[in-house]
Amino acid sequence: MIRVSHLNKSYNHPDMILKDVSFDVKKGDFVYLSGPSGAGKTTLFRLLFADLKPDGGQIVVDGLDLVKARPARIAHLRQRMGVVFQDYKLIPNYTVFDNVALALEIAGTPRRLIQKAVWRVLKVVGVERQLDRLPPQLSGGEQQRVAIARALVNDPQLILADEPTGNLDYEIANEIMSIFNYINSLGATIVMVTHNRALLQRFKRKVFYLDQGSLQAYVWPD
Amino acid sequence: MAKIQDHIYPLFKLTANNIRRHPVINLISISIISIAMLMLILYFLGYSNAARIVSTWRADLRIVVYLVDDIDGERMSALKNYCRELDEVIRFDYVSKEQALKNFKVTLGENSNFLSGLSENPLPASLELFLDSEIAEIDDVERLARQLQRQVGVDEVAYGSRWLRQLFSLLKTVKYFGFVFAAFLSAVTIFIVASTIRLSLYARRETIRVLYLVGATRSFIALPYLFEGVFQGAVASFLALGFAYAGFCYFKAWLQLQVPQWSIVLQLKFFTTLPLLLFLLLGTSLGIAGFLLSSRWVRQD
Repeated sequence: MIRVSHLNKSYNHPDMILKDVSFDVKKGDFVYLSGPSGAGKTTLFRLLFADLKPDGGQIVVDGLDLVKARPARIAHLRQRMGVVFQDYKLIPNYTVFDNVALALEIAGTPRRLIQKAVWRVLKVVGVERQLDRLPPQLSGGEQQRVAIARALVNDPQLILADEPTGNLDYEIANEIMSIFNYINSLGATIVMVTHNRALLQRFKRKVFYLDQGSLQAYVWPD
Repeated sequence: MAKIQDHIYPLFKLTANNIRRHPVINLISISIISIAMLMLILYFLGYSNAARIVSTWRADLRIVVYLVDDIDGERMSALKNYCRELDEVIRFDYVSKEQALKNFKVTLGENSNFLSGLSENPLPASLELFLDSEIAEIDDVERLARQLQRQVGVDEVAYGSRWLRQLFSLLKTVKYFGFVFAAFLSAVTIFIVASTIRLSLYARRETIRVLYLVGATRSFIALPYLFEGVFQGAVASFLALGFAYAGFCYFKAWLQLQVPQWSIVLQLKFFTTLPLLLFLLLGTSLGIAGFLLSSRWVRQD
């Protein structure tokens, strides 16, 4: 599903953020991308949906070479994947419903299906009662869940999530992880960025650990 | 399978959202296009009415050919044939010396008594030529007059179109200036509309970024702005035409009250359907052109 080869990124700074990073994520995998603050996790995360261009190397996602792809192809790839951002990236003057429906509208989903799909996914993440509210009227945890709902609403085969449980309490974080696990069990590939060691320990998966721009892969030991 | 309306509906929804959520920016754009359109409409309304009135005067194009007293029948006949063959001449009337005197007496009315003291009729016979206003240009009148002057049996040729010629040349200048004025106003309007769209894009940059991140294509982002441009242009044109029409009716009524003896006021007319549609099209095009100029700011990255 994802193939990253010899990736470099420096932001024009002598110290490389990412140095010769290579890894594969197979279809149906659930992997973590972890590491200390400033290790380059978010940079690598943004490179995976072409929000940044690398200085060198290759990124192939679902068969599409992100370095060479034209903007329209990248847009269509983004429509097939779900992305959860650390800062939610919700549109503040759109209601919860409109924010989630947007992903479906962009993909050209028939209108008659949108209402049902949005309501269903909001119920899954537990914010169906906030349907008509604006993001600034919600708590951080609620906004996080709306952002997750927007990423899931298209039933994507690839989900990229940057600290999706970062603003949630223990119980809600568990619920959210259960949702990601459930979606993964249905066949979706999930790449989750987290620095939360407790989470890595609780839900053991393959971990790509970034430190000073270099990558190591391991599974959290029992 | 998504239908075409499933792709179009969100674009209209985004357009409606853009308009509803940024009323001030839209109001500024609509006001600017309206003012520019109103200036253009009033200019061309003035021009079209002036041109119509002058055309009615032009329909009265005439040349009077005064004949020498001793013209014989053969020469007279040749001169009539010559006039008959001129394309610009619709018809001509022969006015004999006697008829000319009679006409003169009628013109003088009570003051015509002194004419009875004359031993002989001093007035010449003449041919009065009526020209086809569809064919004859003002320049043709002068050319025809010169040709007629050269004919045998012609004493003098008179035509009163010099002032018309000056008026026409003035109208031509006004017309060309109108196009330059229209081009200048359009360019300024397009630039200002483009600037307001850029302002709007800047105000919505965070929303646009989110749209890109969740998979929107460039056209998905840009098309609502195009629709917004069309909306602004169309509304502004309607407003400008409405204001112009109201102003025109008021001005015409005021003029009729001030100078009721001027029959010319009745000839003042507002635009017919075709120019109205053209103005609507122009206003809408200004909105679209403003969008096109600013569309490069809708970037993919």
